Amino acid sequence: MTDDAALRLYRSLVRRDSAEAISVVERARSEGTSQDVLFDELFAPAMAILGGSWADGSIDEYTFAQAAVVADQVMSFVTPPVAAHDTGATVIVGSMHGDTHDVGKNIIGSALRDAGHRVLDIGTDALPTAFLERAEQSGARILIVCAETLSSALAVTRVREMFEMAGIRGIIVLVWGGPFAADPSLAHAVRADGMIASAEEALQRVSQAVPGRADGASSE
Amino acid sequence: MSEHVTRLAQAEEFARQGNVAAALAAAEQALSVDDKDAHTHCLLAALMLDEGFNEPAVAAAARAIEIDTQCAAAYLVLGLAYDRIGGMGDRSVLVWHELAEVAPDLAIAYVQLGEALYSAALHDEAVSAWERALELDPRDSRATYLLAIAAQSRQGTGAALAGFRRAAEFDLGQDEFFFALAGFERLAPPPAALDIAHIGPGAAKRLEVAYAFAAHEEYLKAAELIRAVLSESPDTVSALALAAYLYLKQDAINEATACALRAVALDGSDAAAIYALGMTLARRPALAHHATRLFSTLAEIAPSHTMSFVLLAESELALQHYAAAGDAYDRAIALDPGSVRALFGKAVVSLTQGDHSSAKWALGRAARFDIERAGCFWALYDGMAKGACQQ
Repeated sequence: MTDDAALRLYRSLVRRDSAEAISVVERARSEGTSQDVLFDELFAPAMAILGGSWADGSIDEYTFAQAAVVADQVMSFVTPPVAAHDTGATVIVGSMHGDTHDVGKNIIGSALRDAGHRVLDIGTDALPTAFLERAEQSGARILIVCAETLSSALAVTRVREMFEMAGIRGIIVLVWGGPFAADPSLAHAVRADGMIASAEEALQRVSQAVPGRADGASSE
Repeated sequence: MSEHVTRLAQAEEFARQGNVAAALAAAEQALSVDDKDAHTHCLLAALMLDEGFNEPAVAAAARAIEIDTQCAAAYLVLGLAYDRIGGMGDRSVLVWHELAEVAPDLAIAYVQLGEALYSAALHDEAVSAWERALELDPRDSRATYLLAIAAQSRQGTGAALAGFRRAAEFDLGQDEFFFALAGFERLAPPPAALDIAHIGPGAAKRLEVAYAFAAHEEYLKAAELIRAVLSESPDTVSALALAAYLYLKQDAINEATACALRAVALDGSDAAAIYALGMTLARRPALAHHATRLFSTLAEIAPSHTMSFVLLAESELALQHYAAAGDAYDRAIALDPGSVRALFGKAVVSLTQGDHSSAKWALGRAARFDIERAGCFWALYDGMAKGACQQ
């Protein structure tokens, strides 16, 4: 990116020339400036110049407001996409048969979705066969089984058995819920691959399980 | 004046001063003279509740209601006492329903009713109650926060954050925080007849008056003065920060961003400028990382302010950094145990960790502090006393 790119962007904002403003951004990108730094290295300096020009009276209030409108049009070109990239990982989330609690399941599901994972929510009171059917339909290899009561937590072992009976291997079963938090050995006892204690941990565990993504929680 | 009235007046005065022991003694003396006065039983109940004697508070409040079924303040105390005792969901729902009937325009009755219904797993009914509270008082921040928590349970933390942002718009503490960062705390309102053209001499005086106008929501006058300050000295960082704040108030985000960026470019350690820039960037989800960086810096520059950590926590939440958000909320609560916004945030984080008891604790504390700060009991009690006088 050339040193005067910010100045050129500023000028195009003041001239209300959105096409030129976008072309300044695109030129910077084509010269190798990554999307991650376009805001910091191009847009922010240009906006600081704009603020300075308004402050010293070089541009009037009307021009300032119009330039701000053009800046809004440029904004989406200089910021990272809001939605996280699709990680390609499909995760089945559900509350175990006999359990109608859905708060934890919903929070984990939405956190995973926000981070770009594909989430199949099979709801509450889900039978072990429901996990198997959705996995077969979708090709998902990661299950998050929620259980807030001891009886439903113990029943998680049937999910693993169901997959073994169907001859499906390589499934990662993660468990979540009060009984597992109270007794971490319970996850092992029901043949889960691990327990997750928080939505953040769910993000980390799922990210680790996705090839090429071991960066943890955020949708950065 | 009868001895009962004298004692009751003394009890009220002590109670308003926070001298609970003396107030309790005076209230009991008043009751020894006349034990059929609902006001006295009601006051006694509130005092008992203050001291953590929940069962005696229940008994006194119930007696007040027995004497006067329209005693709204007694329903409030009774409901709060049931909530604090715990495990009395059915009774709690009933009491809040009754308060809503006795005082149908009272938003807090519906807020509390919603909480009791939510605890009883009647989520849809709870949401309806909170929505009713917002119909009665669109600025009721607790109803907004509670709806956000309900949204989190159904749609995730992103939905909760949107509700938090709505609630934050009513948070006067955030405006006070900005003025404190800028070094202009608790400014008196400028005289109405003040001639802006003749304020001075010098930019400093104009700047101070501009901040005073802004603090009292006289935004046009503040903007006029800021223009004058910048004409004289365009690189005045405080003026640019206030300009950004004023633009933010008008939802002119890009203008605010330009002013704040200019201010930060001039002085990267100016707390008010960093706040203004952080607030503009926090409005854009794609720039959540930038906002977090700024609020993190702000927390280092202004570590004695609760709001520094609340804003940092909210920006961490937007990034799904729940543990970091929890740490920041803990810092905020350590600075101000009654920060309702931090307590609600803590509840959100606790829910992401499956820690329902911590979430419930945080929500309970938020309710307690919010009700105390809003002076709900005294508003109802005084209204009741006024009604009695009119009769």
